[in-house]
Amino acid sequence: MTPDLAIDMREVRKYFPSSDVLAADDVDFQVRQGEIHALVGENGAGKTTLMNILYGLVRADHGDVRVNGETVHIHHPNDAIRAGIGMVHQHFKLIPSFTIAENVMLGIEPGQLGFINASEEAQAVADLGENFGLPVDPNAVVADISVGMQQRVEILKTLQRDARILVLDEPTAVLTPQEVRELYNVIRQLAADGRTIILITHKLVEVKAVADRVSVMRNGRMIATHDVADVSIRDMANLMVGREVVLRVDKEKASPRDPVLEVNNLLVASAGGIPAVFGVSLELRAGEILGIAGVSGNGQTELVEALCGLRAVEGGSVVLGGEDVTLSTVRARRQRGMAHIPEDRMHMGLNLRTSLDENLIVTVYQRSPWSERGIFRFRAIRDFALRIVRSFNVRSARLGEEIHTLSGGNLQKLVLGRELDGHPGLIVANQPTRGLDIGSIEFVHKTLVEARDAGAAILLVSVELDEIFSLSDRVAIMFEGRIMAVHDIEDLDEESIGLLMAGHQEPGP
Amino acid sequence: MITRLRHVLEGAAIPVAAVLLGLVVSSAFVVIAGKQPLPTYAFMFCEGFGARGCENFGHLLFVPVEEEDGSVHTHFAPTLGTRGHKLAIVLERATPLILTALSATVAFRAGMFSIGQDGQLVLGAVAAVFLGYWLPDQIYLLTGTGPDSAPPLQLALMRLTIPPVAMAAAMLVGAFYSWIAGILKVRLNVNELISTIILNAIAVQFVTFMVNFPLRADFNNIARTRTIDDTAWLTPFTRALLNEVDWFRGSRLGIGLLLVLVAAAIIWFFLHRTTAGYEQRMTEGSRLFARYGGIPSARATLRAMLISGALSGLAGALMILGVERRIVDGFALGGTGFDGVLVAILARESVVGILLVASFFAGLEQGAINLQFENLPRQLGGMIIAFMILFASMEDFFRDNITRLRVRLFPESVAPSQSASEA
Ligand SMILES: Nc1ncnc2c1ncn2[C@@H]1O[C@H](COP(=O)(O)OP(=O)(O)OP(=O)(O)O)[C@@H](O)[C@H]1O
Ligand SMILES: [Mg+2]
Repeated sequence: MTPDLAIDMREVRKYFPSSDVLAADDVDFQVRQGEIHALVGENGAGKTTLMNILYGLVRADHGDVRVNGETVHIHHPNDAIRAGIGMVHQHFKLIPSFTIAENVMLGIEPGQLGFINASEEAQAVADLGENFGLPVDPNAVVADISVGMQQRVEILKTLQRDARILVLDEPTAVLTPQEVRELYNVIRQLAADGRTIILITHKLVEVKAVADRVSVMRNGRMIATHDVADVSIRDMANLMVGREVVLRVDKEKASPRDPVLEVNNLLVASAGGIPAVFGVSLELRAGEILGIAGVSGNGQTELVEALCGLRAVEGGSVVLGGEDVTLSTVRARRQRGMAHIPEDRMHMGLNLRTSLDENLIVTVYQRSPWSERGIFRFRAIRDFALRIVRSFNVRSARLGEEIHTLSGGNLQKLVLGRELDGHPGLIVANQPTRGLDIGSIEFVHKTLVEARDAGAAILLVSVELDEIFSLSDRVAIMFEGRIMAVHDIEDLDEESIGLLMAGHQEPGP
Repeated sequence: MITRLRHVLEGAAIPVAAVLLGLVVSSAFVVIAGKQPLPTYAFMFCEGFGARGCENFGHLLFVPVEEEDGSVHTHFAPTLGTRGHKLAIVLERATPLILTALSATVAFRAGMFSIGQDGQLVLGAVAAVFLGYWLPDQIYLLTGTGPDSAPPLQLALMRLTIPPVAMAAAMLVGAFYSWIAGILKVRLNVNELISTIILNAIAVQFVTFMVNFPLRADFNNIARTRTIDDTAWLTPFTRALLNEVDWFRGSRLGIGLLLVLVAAAIIWFFLHRTTAGYEQRMTEGSRLFARYGGIPSARATLRAMLISGALSGLAGALMILGVERRIVDGFALGGTGFDGVLVAILARESVVGILLVASFFAGLEQGAINLQFENLPRQLGGMIIAFMILFASMEDFFRDNITRLRVRLFPESVAPSQSASEA
């Protein structure tokens, strides 16, 4: 046996009877010690499943797993942790009501005498963060922190357990370019220390920038493994999707028409009652895409929730289609043509405890033809669901069946399909392509641009500068709850936007 | 298609496994009580479900010797007539149980873990019993007649109107009582589990007081109310068209059961076919999702609580109008409401499941009561049921192991159909 393999998975097979999907089809997967190995593939290709098998969350039907040359039987994450494997999940597994320090230390032996010393614990976590270049406030409660920060906590959790082999499932999906760069520095440093990193990502640019080798999965099969130096981004994309991919959307210049959304001096408080949005004013017209750029956690979530009727407004007003909706219910806003693609698809955008159909009709169920006088019309619902599943190509989705087994990307497509259906006049899209593969991103971007050209006003919140640049017509930069500046996209470049996002004031006129 | 079938089978396998495991674990206590488990269980089941208890259980044909004249008759056991069939009694007992289980299900499926069924039931019962004699009294007073002297037409009209009025009143009372817990939750975010426990305690005290003082009928040792008037009875089958059918003999099974079956069908339809049912189920699944989608969750929650309370109130009315005829002190502690909660949990909130489980539960209780004749404590029955529920709540554990077992036994059954992942 080759001793220098950190991970050696052979003929791993996993069939999910409940969804009738062969998620791992005799997969061979080798990772060398000390390397950064990227694992890429379309949504639903089986990447997460393969790593869940390695981490003991999913039991393979058959197959061998060796860690550092020794055959291991991993039946439970504890076995994996003992074997030195740590995993940061695609969907975080933090306890919202605990502080950062408590989450990081959870399950780890406490200090002397078996007592948990809160301040020592907090100090230890703060130090840990500093050491790895991932500073955190150990006493912040997880429910109150941004998704980006939660990500950081997840990474610290594995490091605290001293994992030698680190699996990161789409760790950068939620980070800003700056944070991504920092994270990759951390990852490189960890690899230099002799740790092995497995990195699942949809961002091929990052693969190119940071990984040593890359493995490509498609439809449950391992298609190829290459040295990153030997393949181009386009090669990887084509391997993943199995066809030519367009990497950048073409779009005409926008021709904005009447204002659809006017936000005046909006004041919104965060969960803890601390102001999160200070006097934001915006105007959004039909037929244009306004991007909100900013590092995650600068008030974007609160702004979006206030616009969509999910969070109380402390001051200011929101005008939708000429009518003041500041105090309106979600339904009233939706009836005035609002659609909302939320940041948190698992809990807000979908109800994982019910069927596909019932998830898709949540915004329309009370209307004809889906129901008449309070009674459902199932034929109409079926047709509707079928249309969305077809037109958004949601893989392995089955009408009338549960959706909790769908892959992250496919779940996102369901949300998109539902929200973009029926020609909404205003689309509030919060991180609409997070976690999607390039094929799907291409599709979502195209769909959003089409919606714009059909006359929708789109508010795009993204921490992804690429996305901001390729979609927006105008960009508003948000920092600490304020809009720093609004510019046409042509007047901005990565550098100026980066400065604004970091809070630098523009020189006065 | 196959997957569908498998889901159903696996769904049924879990309660069955829970029942068996419950029996296995309870054996320890049977042994402690000094008996053999298997004969004890056999006795319990045949007493609960046999045509005439254990006399003929397991026989398709039953040949009793008539005591008076020594003549011999052959009966087809499942339809055995003379002296009535045990199942009729089981169904009589299942009637209110189904309602309280439906009541629990409606609340659960709005994300409200309400266990207020007992309180709603006893208040409904008080309303029904009061109207059951007061209303006829008033009518007799107005018309200057009495139960014996009233013209047949008047009696017929009273029979048609008084039971529905009493039931409606009981439902209103139950609904209102349940609504209190709902509004406390929606407005003040008071935990419904706590509020319903307290409301139950209040209702029990209140009913005990009513029975002992204002509504007390006589100086009987055990306080009791007046019996309801004959015209307020919900006709039992033994009194109506089916009075010739021996199957029903000895039970007070009646129209109530038919009403309950209709109620079950309506509730199923409500939960799965109407937008209102959808609203409350989405609220149960994820409050955040419901809010995001614009579903009026507070309204859905309150509606669910009203319906849940009305069902429990109706259960109380059926117990009075159909079976008990009066409230005797101690009625308030009967526990039919809480049994309904257990049935709902065992049936995993499925309406069809409730019909089956409630009957099973009632039969088991019936058998357990008869354990006394074998010199076993009747509490044993309650314990066995409790163990079954405990195991039923370990649903995930069973599901995983069933899947694992299947994969081990029939590796071929999991052969993939490639088309699915290619779709
Ligand atoms: N527990 C499960 N039960 C049934 N099917 C499942 C389960 N988990 C995953 N699947 C199915 O297996 C396939 C692979 O899913 P997986 O989550 O591994 O994809 P992925 O490559 O991580 O995709 P993404 O990039 O969207 O996260 C999908 O079709 C999914 O629906
Ligand atoms: Mg995944």
